[in-house]
Amino acid sequence: MAEYIIRRTFQMTIVFFLFLIFSYLLFNAIPGNAFSNLLLNPNLPPDAYQRVLEIYGLDKPLLERTQMYIVNFFKGDFGYSYKYFPKTPIELISERLPRTLMLFSIVNIVAFYTGFFIGKVLAWRRGSKAETWITVTSVFSYTVFYPWFALMMLWVFGYKLGWLPIGKFLYPEKWYDAPFDSDVVFTSMIKFTVVISLIQFAAYLASRGIESLSLRRNIRFGSLITIFAGSYFYWNNGDALIQKPYASDIAFHMILPVMVVTVVAFAGTALLTRTTMMEVLKEDYILTARAKGISQKRIRDRHAARTALLPVVTSFIFTIVTIIDGSVLTEQIFSWPGMGQLLLQSVLEEDIPVAMATFSFVGVFALIAHLLADVSYSYLDPRIRIKSQG
Amino acid sequence: MSKDVLVVKDLNMHYETLAGNVSAVKNVSFSVKEGESFGLVGESGCGKTSVAMSLLQLQADNAKISSGSISLDGIEMVGMSESELRKVRWDGISIVFQGAMNAWNPVVKVGEQIREAIREHYPNNTKNENTEKIESLFKMVDLDSSIMDRFPHELSGGMKQRAVIALALSCDPKVVIADEPTTALDVVIQDQILKEIKKVQELLGLSLIYISHDIAVIAEMTDQMAVMYAGSIVEIGPTDQVFSNPKHAYTRLLLESTPSVVGEKKKLRSLEGEPPSLIGEENGCSFSPRCPDPSDKCKSGNSEMGLIEVADGHFADKCCVECG
Ligand SMILES: Nc1ncnc2c1ncn2[C@@H]1O[C@H](COP(=O)(O)OP(=O)(O)OP(=O)(O)O)[C@@H](O)[C@H]1O
Ligand SMILES: [Mg+2]
Repeated sequence: MAEYIIRRTFQMTIVFFLFLIFSYLLFNAIPGNAFSNLLLNPNLPPDAYQRVLEIYGLDKPLLERTQMYIVNFFKGDFGYSYKYFPKTPIELISERLPRTLMLFSIVNIVAFYTGFFIGKVLAWRRGSKAETWITVTSVFSYTVFYPWFALMMLWVFGYKLGWLPIGKFLYPEKWYDAPFDSDVVFTSMIKFTVVISLIQFAAYLASRGIESLSLRRNIRFGSLITIFAGSYFYWNNGDALIQKPYASDIAFHMILPVMVVTVVAFAGTALLTRTTMMEVLKEDYILTARAKGISQKRIRDRHAARTALLPVVTSFIFTIVTIIDGSVLTEQIFSWPGMGQLLLQSVLEEDIPVAMATFSFVGVFALIAHLLADVSYSYLDPRIRIKSQG
Repeated sequence: MSKDVLVVKDLNMHYETLAGNVSAVKNVSFSVKEGESFGLVGESGCGKTSVAMSLLQLQADNAKISSGSISLDGIEMVGMSESELRKVRWDGISIVFQGAMNAWNPVVKVGEQIREAIREHYPNNTKNENTEKIESLFKMVDLDSSIMDRFPHELSGGMKQRAVIALALSCDPKVVIADEPTTALDVVIQDQILKEIKKVQELLGLSLIYISHDIAVIAEMTDQMAVMYAGSIVEIGPTDQVFSNPKHAYTRLLLESTPSVVGEKKKLRSLEGEPPSLIGEENGCSFSPRCPDPSDKCKSGNSEMGLIEVADGHFADKCCVECG
């Protein structure tokens, strides 16, 4: 396995290198003077302008400049934003990234779980009325024109009913006298989510080896209770208590985008799960499990769904890959100032250093996610493990 | 005289299909005694698997048991609720499926799949008790205990089959059904597996229902046997009796179409014609079109059906007994 990962990492580095050169050349092929933005930036004193030109070779011919860029890139120097001069692309990304991650990791997890659960039940209840209706609905939300749907939802919930905020990720008036900026709150919200997921996962792992099924269930249930109690305690004490009103403001702004994207995203998982699961249910080992006297629910979850999970997880990881580029549209519609907007703005404004840095980030993210997909697949399906070792 | 463990009476089962009802099991009656091995033989499609599935009430969704009774240790199984059935399955009757190679879930370790069955029926066992149980089962079928931690794809066909036998024995069932357990294996392994089953059956005093299309295997494996034709039992009795004195023309044809390894060389007869369609009602003797020597009454389709006793405990179809 280790050897496999090393080999893959090596391949990935080469791919990434080519990707860098190619995108840099492409950005520079955009007609017009790419760094006129920098020139027009009022924050930039003339001598600083001259220095930036020299360091990054902006007045050099394209090939030489590309070479300089790549060298600087691997030294960890991504230049300065043309638009927001003293800021570096890294600063911009680290400000935007938590917002996008927070929104889209929640969306993806919610969509994956509901999709998987619904698909599982659909396959199990095959032929019932409910199955037909839910399948038709899923096909609708899978095929609906997403921007139209999102705008309709905004119109209904934000404008007609007025229940939810229409755009942005916070009410600025609430934040005037906030003792910290939104990124701090975002970061602690992300940390909180990660810790919760880890606890839940640890409880799952710990209870796996227990022989008595009822004890197993109780431990898992107990861990849920602990998480609820723990969350309550956490948000009502110390730093978190001060952050609470701001965090809930952000959470409130997240409801609509999460809902809309989930409705669209769950359907793919649900339909895929339904199909694979229906195939699995025909397998002989499902009959064996029934003959053993195993309960229907356990056969569904442990035998059928576990095997049906394989293609679903792959497709899920490939969705994760598209989080950032997929976020362009969503963030534009919901005016959510995240990575997607950064990507779009920097390209439109020809802020090449920022655009390059964001694109590289998306690229690295995609490569790593693909590697993760392969590794996790080989864990889920023991038949593949052999091949990757050999 | 040991007592009957399983008694099947006048069992009728059909599949509902678009082309009509397929009567796969017609008026089947037989019983299996404690520690006895019972054979069910017949050509492909005659309904052997359908009988086995009915015994576990695991028949396909389109299958209906229309009448009859199956009683295990005096407890009636037809009409039981799903949760009652779950208790009887594996603990009362377990099965080695036809094509048992695919009986293993590919993503779960072999040991875990056996453990799961034991855990279901003996929820109070400790982990160690279950491990010991599996080890002893593996020992019985000549498997190394390290197989427990392997995934199904890591085992050879023969090993998988042995493990399936261990799985079938894991909850000490009263009756084990083996539905052509050696179909997918090569001849040498087939022989080993047969010996294994025989050994285990005698060792544990199991009640075994052995299903095969190969009458030679039935001869080797069983004490009592039944010959099935087109969904009905046409001859039933002690195995050696049926062999030495077959009463039904179909049994004789089966015997003549099987090469015997021992004994004098005979010219083999091939079984001509097709088994009849099981769809719809038919009158008279279903074997008539293939019978080498049918009586006029049989040909006209007016013969009475039903088993009659031809010798002590040996029954055969009335029509055919009268013909031959
Ligand atoms: N689910 C089903 N729906 C409709 N017909 C079925 C179904 N399962 C089996 N049959 C039919 O029932 C009859 C008996 O099938 P069964 O599988 O019991 O035969 P078998 O004796 O086990 O044959 P084999 O030796 O090939 O395993 C066959 O004609 C088959 O086509
Ligand atoms: Mg069969």
